[in-house]
Amino acid sequence: MKTFNLPDLGEGLPEAEIVTWHVQEGDEVVLDQPMLSVETAKAVVEVPSPFSGRVAKLYAGEGDIVETGKPLIDIDTGSGGSAATAAPASADQSPAEASAADSGTVVGSMPVSDEELIETAVAGGKRRRTAGRVKAAPAVRALAKKRGIDLADVPPTGRGDRVTREDVENFRPRPAVRKRTPVQLPPGEPVRLRGPRRAMAQSMGLSRDEVCACTIFDDADIHGWMPGQDITTRLLRAIVAGCQAEPALNGFYDGAAMTRQLESRVDIAIAVDTPDGLIVPVIRRVEQKSAEELRDDLDSIKTKTRARTVAPEEMKDFTFTLSNFGMMAGRYATPVVVPPTIAILGAGGVRHDVVPVLGGIETHRRIPLSLSFDHRCATGGEACRFLAGVIGDLQRTS
Amino acid sequence: MALFPRPAAARGKGPHRAVPVLEEIRLKTIAQFKIAYSQFLDPDGKPVSELPEFARDPEQLLRMYRLMTETRVFDTKAINLQRTGKLGTYASSLGHEAAHVGVGAAMREEDCFAPMYREYGAQFWRGVKMSEVLLYWGGDERGNDFSGPAHDFAWCVPIATQCLHAAGAALAFKLRGEPRCAVSVIGDGGTSEGNFYEALNLAAVRKLPAVFVVVNNKWAISVPLSIQTAAETLAQKAVAAGMPGVQVDGNDVIAVRDAMETALARARAGDGPTLVEAVTYRLSDHTTADDASRYRDPAEVEAARGNEPLIRLRKYLVSIGAWDEDQEQALLSQCAEKVEAAVKEYVETPVQPSGAMFDYMYATLPQAMEEQRETAIRYGADGGDH
Amino acid sequence: MAKVTLIEAVTMALAHEMERDESVIVLGEDVGVNGGVFRATAGLQQRFGPDRVMDTPLAEAMIAGASIGMAAQGMKPVCEMQFMGFIYPAVDQMINHAGRMRHRTRGRLHCPMVLRAPFGGGIHAPEHHSESTEALFAHMPGIRVVIPSSPQRAYGLLLASIRDPDPVVFLEPKRIYRLQKQEVQDDGKAMPLDVCYTLREGDDVTLVTWGAMTFETLKAATAMAEEGISCEVIDLATISPLDLDTILESVEKTGRLVIVHEAARNCGVGAEIAAGVAEKGLYDLEAPIQRVTGYDTVMPLFRMEYQYLPSVRRIVDAAKATLED
Repeated sequence: MKTFNLPDLGEGLPEAEIVTWHVQEGDEVVLDQPMLSVETAKAVVEVPSPFSGRVAKLYAGEGDIVETGKPLIDIDTGSGGSAATAAPASADQSPAEASAADSGTVVGSMPVSDEELIETAVAGGKRRRTAGRVKAAPAVRALAKKRGIDLADVPPTGRGDRVTREDVENFRPRPAVRKRTPVQLPPGEPVRLRGPRRAMAQSMGLSRDEVCACTIFDDADIHGWMPGQDITTRLLRAIVAGCQAEPALNGFYDGAAMTRQLESRVDIAIAVDTPDGLIVPVIRRVEQKSAEELRDDLDSIKTKTRARTVAPEEMKDFTFTLSNFGMMAGRYATPVVVPPTIAILGAGGVRHDVVPVLGGIETHRRIPLSLSFDHRCATGGEACRFLAGVIGDLQRTS
Repeated sequence: MALFPRPAAARGKGPHRAVPVLEEIRLKTIAQFKIAYSQFLDPDGKPVSELPEFARDPEQLLRMYRLMTETRVFDTKAINLQRTGKLGTYASSLGHEAAHVGVGAAMREEDCFAPMYREYGAQFWRGVKMSEVLLYWGGDERGNDFSGPAHDFAWCVPIATQCLHAAGAALAFKLRGEPRCAVSVIGDGGTSEGNFYEALNLAAVRKLPAVFVVVNNKWAISVPLSIQTAAETLAQKAVAAGMPGVQVDGNDVIAVRDAMETALARARAGDGPTLVEAVTYRLSDHTTADDASRYRDPAEVEAARGNEPLIRLRKYLVSIGAWDEDQEQALLSQCAEKVEAAVKEYVETPVQPSGAMFDYMYATLPQAMEEQRETAIRYGADGGDH
Repeated sequence: MAKVTLIEAVTMALAHEMERDESVIVLGEDVGVNGGVFRATAGLQQRFGPDRVMDTPLAEAMIAGASIGMAAQGMKPVCEMQFMGFIYPAVDQMINHAGRMRHRTRGRLHCPMVLRAPFGGGIHAPEHHSESTEALFAHMPGIRVVIPSSPQRAYGLLLASIRDPDPVVFLEPKRIYRLQKQEVQDDGKAMPLDVCYTLREGDDVTLVTWGAMTFETLKAATAMAEEGISCEVIDLATISPLDLDTILESVEKTGRLVIVHEAARNCGVGAEIAAGVAEKGLYDLEAPIQRVTGYDTVMPLFRMEYQYLPSVRRIVDAAKATLED
């Protein structure tokens, strides 16, 4: 039994209306015999029988509308007559067209559908693009890939912020902490760092990765001090004097963007040693405070530190760091610059030093000073000027 | 505002009177032309003049009649194949059987035929197979690699370009001194193309052994002859090229063949080209995808059907006792069998392998195209997910 | 507002402009009584008469040349070549006259004509009816080449083409003439020429195409989206002059470019786009530019035509190749 579906009768015509059946169920039909007339767009088309055989079933009657591809007639080809011609030559043969149908073409077979096109088409460009990608010539990209370098890490020096071949060749990747092969501890009971100790490990690691530190050592002769001076307070004031003498060490540096942001405010972080580790509470606007106010702030810090109530906000956003470390031992040091700040002043223990004075010798109390600064953004001259300002202020009698 | 205002002389004088070229009384005639018309059998199959020699031999006529019938049976089948999805768009030759078979029957094998795309009767006479016609319209290039003389041109869709090919072939034959002719066929619409005029001009000025057949079936898709040209006959377009043109009844196979034999003899003798206009009617649509009822008066079509070529030849053959109903039925039955066999051969021809797209681009495929060929093969027959 | 197919949108635009501007004339073979072999001009002769919608004799050089003559004398002819396969006798007129009329007369004469032709394959047509040689016309200075890919753009771009004071070759992808319907308002609004249209936004790969291939390209984008690849699809629309800026912006975002056209590869329009992006967007490219095109063979007859036309799979493979790099 063979079912014949209504062939595609032409463009824009997903269906056709049956006008006349020329055969009835039970009739014998011969291949190519006119089988029925269908109407499409005001023209009537004769559809010939595709098979020889007996009409078994008509799927629709005169006046009915049949969709293209839906069954039209069943013909039993087993009974007499010559076998039907072979099936359509290949799956992608064109579907039938009726010459009288308004197929709207003299050639071929056009796919037709009622499918609706929903689209949003935007004319032209000028749309904001998402965050920019790295620009580099293909050869440079290939080179970076070969060397396992991520182009986003390479500072571009080419025109239009392009990463050049030289940039890639000169690139020395900063080893990320994560990428290091872990140092194996001997068997024992390793304890994870937490709290301030952990923060210090991260901060110091970051400093090592990024900062190019340089330290200048000098001493402040304080033998002329009036009695009753507090060293820490004087150091804070001296730092302000240093900032005024040379502003270049008070502020921030962004190594990736290569930008520097100097500040007029002097917010000094004070390194404080606690049983839990190092914390750096900040004294704000030191340049505006009197000695008494500074003393009060320092006392407040001491109290809070013991009570462990120093809040994280009180340890952020400082422009300079002071490390007054000499209470127990230590004269000079190479204090670590805390990114993104530019400099840190370390003050060691006050000593009685033998100093030459006008052809003789005396012993004077002196504060050893160690100024570390980020040489990426501050020059030696700037650091010395700063230090001179610090020393000059420290050496005042009050 | 009238887009095409009438000439000043005619304005305001009632119905338009054609403006003469010059005052005719002052003219001296320096050239004139005459177009002759030929017909041997009227639409009822009655002889209207003495038949040419070949037509007095019933066997000759029977051979042509059989082929005309076979062509028509094939044609009907091809249309049905298209309607049932087994063939692509097909150009029917319904009504043109005499014009085509008359051309084919007059030609020799060594002559060269440059067809348009409808002249199956002529081509079958020359040995082209029905299955090859089906392959062509079925979308397979092997159809154009048809049987029959290997020097015949392939079907030609860009209208009138084949006329220049015939002129060129004729030029080759002449240069080489070969007693061969080139014949092209074109429709009435095609005679408006530049290529057509250029072919006539070259053939005439060089006296080439060519015959340009114009099968005037009155319609170029939907454009009737009346707006295709102002020429009274298409044969007279030959006059402009300086060559003879004749018009024949294209529904009378005897007239067509007779005109062709004369023209070919002329050409073979070195006397130059001829234009043969065979006037007939396109009883079918332009192709299976056209709908002629949109633009044609059905009464006109019916009237033309009364003039059609098979009826008149059959009537004549019956009248001379050379044909009868039994023979007709036997012939139809044989034709049906032959056509079925051709359809089977066509339908069972598998699609060419993917690399075939490349295999005949050049004598040897350039190295630069190897990669594309491999890509096509790699994606293969089902690389076409669309 | 009506839901129309691409071919109906063409008719709509022609009718609208002929109503609005009496200097617009339609001419070609079978365009009048028959309404065009694809019905592009259906009903127009009935509405505007045989002097404005003309059935011409069968001669393409004549159709183009006469259109040029009419255009130079102040009319706006919209002529039709029945198929791109038959456009070649008209090429002489187009390249030697239409494209250079304004230039060689220093603007004294100009040629505001539109030459329409159905083009491209995929409808199981006979020989010569599946041509896609837009590159020929793109190469001619002074000629605009416009290819719509949706009913809306067919309407808007055809209006723009008719109104443009210089010659436009308007190629209609016949495979999608009736493939989809779209709401198109008959409001007489032209759409901008000389710009690309972004049909789909995405971040990973830019796919540039035009004509009927937008259909396969969008299908490829959808298929890839299911694998997490986000494609931006751009329809060139105006083939020449080329809006490279839109493409460059997209490549700046994605870094990857695939150009899809059914025309043959050698010196196809894809080559021009690739060269332009290589010139001006090289530093944004993460991978070589891919072209998915027809082969450098004569388009095969229809039994094999779908092997020739770029398929969804070929487009996806090319896009993925840019991501592998």
